[in-house]
Formats: sequence, C-alpha cells, structure tokens
Amino acid sequence: MERQPRILIFKTNIQTREQKRAIASLLNSQVSIESWTIDQEDEDCVLRIVGFAVDKGEIIDLLKKQHFDCIELH
Amino acid sequence: MRTRDNTKELLVKEVACEILVQEGFQGFSMNKLARACGISVATLYIYYQDKDDLIRKLGIEIGKAYYTEMMKDFSPDMSFKEGLRKQWENRSRFAVNNPIKVKCHEIIRTSSHNDYVMRESMVDLKSIFGLFIRNAVERNELKPMSREVFWSIAYGPLYALLRFHHEGKSIGNVEYKLSQKDLNEAFDLVIKALC
Repeated sequence: MERQPRILIFKTNIQTREQKRAIASLLNSQVSIESWTIDQEDEDCVLRIVGFAVDKGEIIDLLKKQHFDCIELH
Repeated sequence: MRTRDNTKELLVKEVACEILVQEGFQGFSMNKLARACGISVATLYIYYQDKDDLIRKLGIEIGKAYYTEMMKDFSPDMSFKEGLRKQWENRSRFAVNNPIKVKCHEIIRTSSHNDYVMRESMVDLKSIFGLFIRNAVERNELKPMSREVFWSIAYGPLYALLRFHHEGKSIGNVEYKLSQKDLNEAFDLVIKALC
C-alpha cells in the first residue's frame, strides 16, 4: 500500500500577509514538511501541514518562538 | 492518524453545494460548512487546503460529471439533428436530476474560479463539439454562423425551459414543470432556425 503523508491542522492567529511571510521561510526550511498552506480567510487562520515525518510539537514550538498562537485541531 | 472517509467527503460536497446555492460565496465559510456537516474543522482541512481549494474541486467534479453525461451516446459524427437532440436529452436529464449541483456549478462559473475550473474539467469537450459543428456545416446540415449565435439559438431555449422548471414557475408567476412535449416543440423550432 502506498504510504500516505500525515496532515496536521492547527488553529493560529497568523492573520496578515506580513505574518505569513514571517513564518514562510521557517516552514519552507523544514525538511519534514512536504507542503503547507494557511487559510487566512477563515476565522481560525488554519495552518495545514503535509509531510511524512512532521511532528506537531516541533510545529507548535516553531510558531510559538515567533510569538504566534498555534493549537492543534482534532 | 486520521484518514479520509469517503462517506464524510460526499456529505461535505453535498452540504457545500447547498450552502453555496442558498447563501452564495459571502455566506460560505469552512467553519460554517464543518458545523453544518457535524464534523470538526480539522476534518474538513484534511480534505481541502482552504475554501478556494474546496470550491475549485467542487466545480471541477460537477463539471466533469456534467460533461460525462453530455457525451453519453453522443458522437461528433452524428447527423446534426440527431446529435443536437442527444445533447438536449443529456443536458436536460442532468439538469433535472441534479438541480442543486447545476445551480452550484453556475455560481462557481460566475466567480473568479471559472477559468481554472473550466480548464480542468472541460478537457476534450471543446474539440469534440467543434468537430460536430464543422461536420454539420460541411454536410450542409447547418448554416455557418458565429459560435455565440449558434450557442444562443441551439441551447438558449433549452436552458430557458430548464430555468423555468427549476424555479417551478414561468413568466407571470405561472406554475411550470418541464414536459417532453415542450422540449420537443422547442427543439423542432431550434432545428428550423438553424438548418
């Protein structure tokens, strides 16, 4: 069976284009992340991370260091 | 790890269509959709990247289903009358059986997503219908005319009847239900006008 990547979903407060730009370079440099998107039109500014070896703790730490809220949604 | 659930995904598409038809783009949000489906927002984002991704995928899926139905038992080599009749049959069947999907597709087609959705879902359709028209003109079954005039006359009456049917009323608020008799009558007049 083909291996499926993990999809992690987070509620954030990344609301502006500048804030998105600020996290973009960080997320792009993570080798475990295959792709990511953020829905800034949604009230939860949902961050969606796709990757085979992504770790939710690492993502939360990464965003918290940049002073953003980041809560995993289930 | 969460995996995709086909039943849930079908429900999401169905409810998304209903919200778009009832409330348009302004009233549509991922949060509202999740609530209406009784699922978590996270589950919705497993399926789709964001609202735009969902709307585009929805448009492409409906478009492909519609175009598959259009091609049923149709060939560009058919005589013009036979081929156009088949198109009327296929298009009206899909529209009558899938009123919400058709309305939803219309809404998506009038949005900024239209170019992307059409490009992804139409694929071979343009060339097939182009060939059908060229064949008909070459066989002197159809007068040469612009695409716009052709479409307006060939399909305009069909879509007007379907609109009356979906609204349940025609001009002057008169109750209306599409009948085969009306379809036949309109089709015969279209053939007279085009051939």
